[in-house]
Amino acid sequence: MRELKIGTGWVRGVVGDALNPELVIGFSRAFGTWAEGGPVVIGRDTRRSSVMFQQAVTAGLLNSNCQVIDLGETSTPLISFAVRELGASGGVSVTGSHNDSSWNALKFLGPEGSLLNPIKSEEFLDLFHASSFQTFGPHPPPPQPAAPGIADAYLDHLCSALAEEEIRTRGFRIALDFRFGAVAPLADQFLKRLGVQTVTLNVSPAIDWHLQLEPTPDSMGELATLVSNGRFDFGAALNIDGDRLVLVAEDGTCVSEEYTLPLVARSRLLRRPGPVVTTLSTSKRIDPVAAEFDQKVVRTAVGESFVMDRGVELEAVVAGEGSGGVAALPASMTFDALLSLGLILEFLASERDRLSDAVQTIPRTEMLKGRVRCSAPAAYRALEKCRQVYAEGISSLDDGIRVDWDDAWLHLRVSNTEPLLRIIAESDDARRTQKIFDGCLGVIRHSLAEEETK
Amino acid sequence: MTEHHPALKIGVSGVRGIAGQSLTPEIVAAFAAAFGTYCGTGRIAVGSDTRPSRVMVTPAVTAGLLSVGCTPVHLGIVPTPTLQFHVRKHGEAGGICVTASHNPLEWNALKFCTSAGEALRPYQFSELLDLYHQGVFSRVEADDIPEVQIDQSAASEHIQAVTEFTDRRSIADRKFRIVVDCCNASASKVTPTFLRNLNCEVFEIHTTPGEPFPRSPEPAPRNLAELGAAVLEYGADIGFAQDADADRVAIVDERGKPAGEDFTVALAIDQSLRKHPGPVVVSVATSRLIEDIARARAGAVHRSPVGEAHVLEKMLEVGAQIGGEGNGGVIIPGINHCRDSFAAMALILERLALNPFPVSQVLASLPQYATVRTSVPCRSREAAAFVRLMRHIYREETLDLTDGVKVMWPDRWLLVRGSNTEPLLRLTAEAGDESEARRLIDSALEYLRE
Repeated sequence: MRELKIGTGWVRGVVGDALNPELVIGFSRAFGTWAEGGPVVIGRDTRRSSVMFQQAVTAGLLNSNCQVIDLGETSTPLISFAVRELGASGGVSVTGSHNDSSWNALKFLGPEGSLLNPIKSEEFLDLFHASSFQTFGPHPPPPQPAAPGIADAYLDHLCSALAEEEIRTRGFRIALDFRFGAVAPLADQFLKRLGVQTVTLNVSPAIDWHLQLEPTPDSMGELATLVSNGRFDFGAALNIDGDRLVLVAEDGTCVSEEYTLPLVARSRLLRRPGPVVTTLSTSKRIDPVAAEFDQKVVRTAVGESFVMDRGVELEAVVAGEGSGGVAALPASMTFDALLSLGLILEFLASERDRLSDAVQTIPRTEMLKGRVRCSAPAAYRALEKCRQVYAEGISSLDDGIRVDWDDAWLHLRVSNTEPLLRIIAESDDARRTQKIFDGCLGVIRHSLAEEETK
Repeated sequence: MTEHHPALKIGVSGVRGIAGQSLTPEIVAAFAAAFGTYCGTGRIAVGSDTRPSRVMVTPAVTAGLLSVGCTPVHLGIVPTPTLQFHVRKHGEAGGICVTASHNPLEWNALKFCTSAGEALRPYQFSELLDLYHQGVFSRVEADDIPEVQIDQSAASEHIQAVTEFTDRRSIADRKFRIVVDCCNASASKVTPTFLRNLNCEVFEIHTTPGEPFPRSPEPAPRNLAELGAAVLEYGADIGFAQDADADRVAIVDERGKPAGEDFTVALAIDQSLRKHPGPVVVSVATSRLIEDIARARAGAVHRSPVGEAHVLEKMLEVGAQIGGEGNGGVIIPGINHCRDSFAAMALILERLALNPFPVSQVLASLPQYATVRTSVPCRSREAAAFVRLMRHIYREETLDLTDGVKVMWPDRWLLVRGSNTEPLLRLTAEAGDESEARRLIDSALEYLRE
């Protein structure tokens, strides 16, 4: 299998034969053509291969007659902000995000600063596949220098969305794990403004590639130890391009990444009520939080592009995923770990709460996630089988199959990134969850076995 | 269709096309990856001339090199000979110059050089082209991608080496007044500094890099009117005009009159042989003037096919200290294994400093030939057929078959050959006067029409 994946608003692959400069140039020419030769903001994460692809993106965009505003090493949320602030026609973030270091990816942002939505992504990919690119006249436009002061404007913007004074008065002390991301210097300035003392781990430029880059509780041992041995209000790990946030409570307990969304949403809804958007695969822990404020939760297919697109349409105030990526709309038009962190601080400051207490108030549920390895055709036939078996309870076919009962739900979908089926089940009771999960697994295995006997 | 998709010209002199149209960033990145694969892992020097499209082409080169694990060493805007000097001096694995040399502004190209700082030979280029067409590059994994490096000292190191090679005192004593026309190209900052270091008074025209080319970058006599006028205006001793990547240079005398490109290599060879007697190599298309000069200095003249790589190859074979071509390109292997306009200017100034005579008088003291060059559009296969025909027609005369066919009489010669780089038939004739040279060309064209 060629390790290249094209999604809605992004392209990712294994660096080398699959994701190479020529291909990235082609996508950049298509994007520059889609942006009609307007100014495009670009930036990259701290990976070695990101320097290479940033050069390829520059060449491709210039060839499509775009002015290139290069922010260098930076976070995706800052690129998104700069696109809006500078009135650019789009943005490109070169970041492999949570994928391991052998991967890299491009995220394509539209003029409103969010990942291309399905319609725009389709336009863009049509241009790519047709190789119908525009080019410059006698001369390509010169690349533009990085926009001076854009980082300060971004931090002003973040602070204006927060109760800055309340946070400062509380005098927080937190531990941060940056996973060698480019967001570190921004976070440093941001937290200084909020009067937060920090101790940091895994700061760039020297990337330790043995560390798992995806911030999940399994990979947060070092941060948890740091927090439990010191006096901290809490610990936080940020994704390499600054979109995801995962927390460690003040006693050193890792908090599941599924809690980031409900915690941020509760803070946001306290001051700004509005709808919440998340995915079909995200924990129902968000539901009671929204209900507290008489708000609805709307679920979409898995992927930032779908969540944000629906969020904009519904004028939602929070949109996020169970992975720890959350956007507080309209302040953020991408998942933004810094704003999420600011909202957690704001909540703890105004409620005079400890993080563990805040986590306690969110009803605990029992969730099971699993995967079954199989080829894409076999996966689609297994899905079809499940559609028949669960016909009665199906609540959505937007992304695989979502089945809802009064007390539980099940989501079954084909992975965007690997040849496998993902199964997620959740209820308030561990045995009930297990039963649903096993039932589904049985249907899939049966279908795969039938495949083999054929 | 062809109007909207201008040709891409891939040949031993590089990969050339209209930037952004036929020379796309994908092709550039793929050629850089192929070249990096060809050189093996290592440092590859990257430089460019001042063409605006360098901002698109150079990043594509960088990305292609990084993808196969090569370290791009960026020299910035530099003359091509400066890049080749750097590669040889620092033992880089190779070099890529982003320059379309004398082609018009909207063109760009990649010129490749080996770790010896030499242009690729035909067999090397065909190996590179084979790798490119196979599309199998030795891409490295993400963690093995190297970092980009920057070296801004290439130009100063180069002109320092040329200066050390030169008899500075005699040039300095003469206090030359010189007008330079750098075509707003890559030597714009380097040439004035180089000449001022030799105690020359320098007047600059077209030395703003990045401004549009004020003239065709080819330093042929027809393009040097402005330089001639400036020489007269400033009362200068001499004018120098370089091409866009500064590997070639042409002379204008103190009366503002272009000397003709053959005189660049003639003066340089005359001076070099005074210092280091020995063999000389020029291409078959270069004036017989060279034999006259060499005879006076007891040097043997070897003739090579047309093209820098061929001249250099022959020079290394016979151990020549000087060589070149009638297009203003001079090679001095003691300094650089390529055409180098700085080395050429230094030798010419040394030659002029030998006596107090003005340039026009020095030129007049050399044997005078009329050389006429022309070309006609002609497909390669037809050119080859015509060359065979000419061999047959002139079979009774003395023939030199080094490149195409050269017919030699005691007082004149005619060369007919297919171009290496373009679908053209090139004709060169030399005789005692211009009408005789032109008559030789016309008679050949007559056969072509038949």
